[in-house]
Amino acid sequence: MAYPYQLGFQDATSPIMEELLHFHDHTLMIVFLISTLVLYLISLMLTTKLTHTSTMDAQEVETIWTILPAIILIMIALPSLRILYMMDEVNNPALTVKTMGHQWYWSYEYTDYEELNFDSYMTPTTDLKPGELRLLEVDNRVVLPMEMPVRMLISSEDVLHSWAVPSLGLKTDAIPGRLNQAILTSSRPGLFYGQCSEICGSNHSFMPIVIEMVPLKTFENWCSSML
Amino acid sequence: MSSGALAKPQMQGLLARRLRIHIVGAFAVSLGVAALYKFGVAGPRKKAYADFYRNYDSMKDFEEMRKAGTFQSAK
Repeated sequence: MAYPYQLGFQDATSPIMEELLHFHDHTLMIVFLISTLVLYLISLMLTTKLTHTSTMDAQEVETIWTILPAIILIMIALPSLRILYMMDEVNNPALTVKTMGHQWYWSYEYTDYEELNFDSYMTPTTDLKPGELRLLEVDNRVVLPMEMPVRMLISSEDVLHSWAVPSLGLKTDAIPGRLNQAILTSSRPGLFYGQCSEICGSNHSFMPIVIEMVPLKTFENWCSSML
Repeated sequence: MSSGALAKPQMQGLLARRLRIHIVGAFAVSLGVAALYKFGVAGPRKKAYADFYRNYDSMKDFEEMRKAGTFQSAK
């Protein structure tokens, strides 16, 4: 989950998020390179009285500052497209869970084998137990099996919402009348928090998502207990 | 009368000389910053993830969390 004074991304929990982290490092390195160069050149121009008053053309430097940015853009685009296609891979998820956005809570449906439906409301601040996270805890968490691809089908019953879990690298819009698909794979067990990411009314900030990743056996026992 | 004539200072091409020196300097500094980020931030982050997952036991991690009362689905 997020922590105070955080500057970067949350720790990655899925292989895709790890790829995104490393890609972000690569792209930020290029951004720092270009920004340092431009800042250096600007300060150079501001600290001299020397001028060149008879510039007519500059073919060589124009060629360089066309080719070099094109190369840099290709260096950014290739890893970006690689990850984009990686996110779209179909990897035969063993489980499909549907989530519907409402004003102002999420509901989850596990209908592969039996009919399991429940709503997930934020725990009000006055009802929090010691150690729980304000505005992030919910009454019924989304329990899922770890280390397995899970298909999430995301939609909405009323207005636009967005189902987001940053540590898994997920953010998918919940659009009424439309089914959006996201594939989820967690490398480790634990609790992973997210918040609604599309403005949806007065309680938009108060409909969080909590995913509880557990081993398959524990998940199966939980499913039976919830029916 | 002067005891010895001074060398004639450079009077042409001052801007070109400045640009030549500083263009090399600008590229060196910006590549240095990029290298600093790659070896100071990006590299250690990749290594940290590789080290974490090298001998990671997810069931052991799960058991520790379960005993700490983290989960709703496993007490």
